[in-house]
Amino acid sequence: MALIWSVVSVSCSILVMPFLMFLLAIIFLASIGKSLGVRRLYVKMLLKIFEYGRENIEIAKKDRHTSCDNSENEDEDDVEGQRDKEKGSSNVTCHYLNHSNHMLHKMDRKLKNGVLANNSTSVISREDLILVPDPEQNYTSASTVNSEGDHTAVIHNFPRRRSFETLKREFELSDCLNFVKAGVEAIIEDQVTHRFEAEELKSWNLLTRTNLHYEFISWRLSFIWMVGFLMRYCFLLPVRVLICFIGVMWLTICTGIVGYVREGKFKRWLNYHVSIMCFGVLSSALSAVITYHNTENRPKCGICVANHTSPIDVLVLACDNCYALIGQRHGGFLGILQRALARASPHIWFERSEVKDREAVAKRLRQHVSDPRNPPILIFPEGTCINNTSVMQFKKGSFEVGSVIYPVAIKYDPKFGDAFWNSSRYSMMQYLYLMMTSWAIVCDVWYLPPMYQQEGESAIDFANRVKSAIARQGGLVDLMWDGQLKRMKAKPEWKEKQQEEFSKRLKIDTKKQE
Amino acid sequence: MGNRSSLLLREEEIAQIQEETGFTPNQIERLYSRFTSLDRGDCGTLSREDFLRIPELAINPLGDRIVHAFFEEGCSDRVNFLQFMQVLAHFRPIKKGRDNKLNSREQKLKFAFKMYDLDNDDKISKDELLAILHMMVGANISEEQLTSIAERTILEADQNGDQMISFEEFCNALERTDVEQKMSIRFLN
Repeated sequence: MALIWSVVSVSCSILVMPFLMFLLAIIFLASIGKSLGVRRLYVKMLLKIFEYGRENIEIAKKDRHTSCDNSENEDEDDVEGQRDKEKGSSNVTCHYLNHSNHMLHKMDRKLKNGVLANNSTSVISREDLILVPDPEQNYTSASTVNSEGDHTAVIHNFPRRRSFETLKREFELSDCLNFVKAGVEAIIEDQVTHRFEAEELKSWNLLTRTNLHYEFISWRLSFIWMVGFLMRYCFLLPVRVLICFIGVMWLTICTGIVGYVREGKFKRWLNYHVSIMCFGVLSSALSAVITYHNTENRPKCGICVANHTSPIDVLVLACDNCYALIGQRHGGFLGILQRALARASPHIWFERSEVKDREAVAKRLRQHVSDPRNPPILIFPEGTCINNTSVMQFKKGSFEVGSVIYPVAIKYDPKFGDAFWNSSRYSMMQYLYLMMTSWAIVCDVWYLPPMYQQEGESAIDFANRVKSAIARQGGLVDLMWDGQLKRMKAKPEWKEKQQEEFSKRLKIDTKKQE
Repeated sequence: MGNRSSLLLREEEIAQIQEETGFTPNQIERLYSRFTSLDRGDCGTLSREDFLRIPELAINPLGDRIVHAFFEEGCSDRVNFLQFMQVLAHFRPIKKGRDNKLNSREQKLKFAFKMYDLDNDDKISKDELLAILHMMVGANISEEQLTSIAERTILEADQNGDQMISFEEFCNALERTDVEQKMSIRFLN
């Protein structure tokens, strides 16, 4: 027993020195704004492993699902199925080379009959009525659903159906069928509820949390998973926690120091660089690999809006630019952080009571924005975290201020770790724990050109315009539903609007009076 | 993380549901994961609130009637997965040459008929029709106009003169409607 202890203590003391050096190196590199490229290499390696794992799973699946569901696929004249077959066949060719002949027959059958690699995670195809809060868009939504997840989504209307429907018709018994079908389709699969849960992955990324239907696939895969598990929990997790701890302390110290400098141009310059450095250190606590696109559009002042997926969004954006944050004043540790940050740079922190008062918020926003030397304010108009497959309704408050808006689109790659914070399921600590035991956080940030409110454009229309620009750039679905549906029920007014829309289409016989 | 009671269906259960409803095992599994995600309380059954939490259903004028269709059998306040699937099976597309137990044209029409028939007496009365019209138009059309619409509809469909629409009369009235298309949902994979 004593021997083991002495061995452990000796090895620890040997490792401690290089370990500290390693940590210092990270901080140093972050402060001069360079990186070793270790993280990108790591991510590339992970991609190769995932690809291998995916092939493995597909082979195993073919072995298992032989003829039971082939027969059902025969009659589905599926245009999407055709497309998927083409995509799937290229995946299959590498399998032909690597595996035995008896697979060939099974794969042949699969290719002829149906979808090979299920590129879409939809259960049904929705082509008709989909109800949305604004009933005039009931039919146009149907066409956008089918191009979900496609970066080059083309939004086309079905004008034929719409113009037909706008002719007034007398009531018939079959009129209820549209609503009934739309309702049952919504029960099977709707646009909204799954946005508040983690995105479903198309193939397993070797984390147990994403594979709820875990079945034993193969020894090789299980071995890889085991190695990955050990590496994540026994090596990466402690390192990341340590870096996080150090990073937060460093941030507090640095901003404290900057706070003592006299107001002026030097302070702003110092704050800019210190802020980027500290957040750079913190980002390595999550192994964040961030790619910034179109940096010529980086915001310099005004208001910056982005889609919201998790609190990590702030970290992701702050690694490249210095922002002013806006939020509620907290107590405790977060409060200390807020006060430290506030000393160095003009952030906007509210008392809890003021948050509800929209006028006060707007006034402070305007005040901040009117001084062009202030850093841009970072706002998330959705107001809540959405799971990064769609963008939900933007609240109009920040669009009424009248300043320039810099839209930013953030898209996380869910293969390496799902960044979405499901606040009804996980607390902040649990969420951070999950983040630190994921492979990495890989995301793309697109800076979009600045947008201005046009003459005669209402704040709501402006907000929608910005929202669709962000959705288009990030390859996200543009929804008009309110993100607050995560917690609240649908408003009765929306149902009333649907009723109104239906009654507009009814031809009423006004001749009979008795 | 909650108690995920039997996240995976047992083989016998899948086989039973396949036998009764005609869904493929793949579809059954997908629908089961949908069922569990709607089941917030993790109790293995759904209540009316669970359904109405779906925003698209909550704003549907006939949302309540549709939800009611799931609870129709028996007096329970909750729906289990088999019952859930049995109702959804009505919306499977009709396959020629296949045994369509729950999704034949007649079954689909029966489902639509039950939307109107509020008290389950196999007849649609004028008041029931009026109630459904109210649900669909809200306060946008006056009472007299709605009454006249209801009367006209019954007049056109009623064949035996009892001022009510029976199931046969309903089927006849919808003879020219493409019920297969309007009451079928296209399932992928």
